Amino acid sequence: MHSPIRIGRRKLIQLSGLSLLLAGCGRGTWQTQIEQALYRASDPLNQSFEQLLFSSQRLAREYKPSEIQAQQLLINTAEDSTPMIDPATYRLKVGGLVEKPVELSLEDIRKLPYRSEIINHVCVEGWAAIVQWGGLPLVDLLKVVQPKPEARYVFFRSVEGLSDPSGNAYGFYETWDLASCVHPQTLLAYEKNNSPLPAENGAPIRLASPIKLGYKQIKWVTEIALLATLPEKVGYWIDFGYEFYGGL
Amino acid sequence: MTANAMPRKAAAPKQALAAKIFHWVNLVSLFAMMGSGLQIYNANPVFGGRAGYHFPDFLLLGGWLAGGRHWHFFFMWVFGLNLLWYGIYVFATRRWKNRYVASNDIEAIRKGRNPKRRNYAIHRLIYTAFIPVLLLALLTGLGMYKPVQFAWIANLFGTWETLRIVHFTTIPSVLALMVAHSLLALNVGDWKLVRSMFAS
Repeated sequence: MHSPIRIGRRKLIQLSGLSLLLAGCGRGTWQTQIEQALYRASDPLNQSFEQLLFSSQRLAREYKPSEIQAQQLLINTAEDSTPMIDPATYRLKVGGLVEKPVELSLEDIRKLPYRSEIINHVCVEGWAAIVQWGGLPLVDLLKVVQPKPEARYVFFRSVEGLSDPSGNAYGFYETWDLASCVHPQTLLAYEKNNSPLPAENGAPIRLASPIKLGYKQIKWVTEIALLATLPEKVGYWIDFGYEFYGGL
Repeated sequence: MTANAMPRKAAAPKQALAAKIFHWVNLVSLFAMMGSGLQIYNANPVFGGRAGYHFPDFLLLGGWLAGGRHWHFFFMWVFGLNLLWYGIYVFATRRWKNRYVASNDIEAIRKGRNPKRRNYAIHRLIYTAFIPVLLLALLTGLGMYKPVQFAWIANLFGTWETLRIVHFTTIPSVLALMVAHSLLALNVGDWKLVRSMFAS
């Protein structure tokens, strides 16, 4: 298993600041400083508030098949090209702080419990779409690998390839709190709207859940690692400045 | 105030310190919520989606979507808690009994011949109208911030789209009320009244 790339906090802030400038936002540093100050002041409070509201057992509303909004689910990726994964050679590595690390083929994953749900998928941009996801509840995978007692976070790595300004490739990644991972509606999905998951939606395996914003629902997952603490690099969008918790 | 042999000169209006603080905090947090709200709006316009009308930069706070969210989810506490303590204050000091529009004001608006009394009644009506609009902004905002935990809010409004539209319409509603409230304040109490609400 690759360990999450570790870079210093200062480097991280520089990097995200640089990326923002590159994104062409063209705004002054004082604005960034105000945003950061407000974020630092309120995010811990917001996160506690969100965790206080959250229950691993409270299910999000599920909809009728006739309510699926197939056209409304937009595709957001960090880069323009869609990773194409060969389903035959695909392996999902699950490791980190677990008793029984595993490497699963798609066939293995399909043999594990299956759940179908029609839920509202909410994007950070404000739009939402009612979508059907089918797949393996993450909690059932966790039962297989048996997390060690000190595990608190779940790190996901995607094959989505990205390069920084100097051309070095690094992966797309995301971290969730364990409580949200054991929520019964959090799936490793391989089915969308009753069809096999399309490549642009994250085939063969993506994370899908009604309890987190879309940017937390990482596509093209190849690796899962349980961690005791939040890694230095938390998630692609989180390291840009979006909230870690992103709960609904 | 003691009775004076030289009356007829109206005393300068005075406001309780609590009212001034509430007024200031409310005004500042509302503009912060509107500016950052429009930033979030622009990420995917409620009307027309990505192809829809985007608000110009000078109206926006936060620089980009995440920045707008940071402003919005900081000032939601300032705005919400300010409104909460206003509610407690108005209730505990029994100001609610005579602060809001009442049947005699409606009477004055409909049939009154005294223009001053009429303006005063309209002023009270507008002031009262702020309360449901501000509460609606908070309610619909909470419904979108936590649609799973506060599923009852999302369900109350039917669809996600309705929830977004209602949340958005609180901006023009608040702005319209602000304009009317300011003009009527000037009309009812001149500059002296307006100043008393902001400063001494």
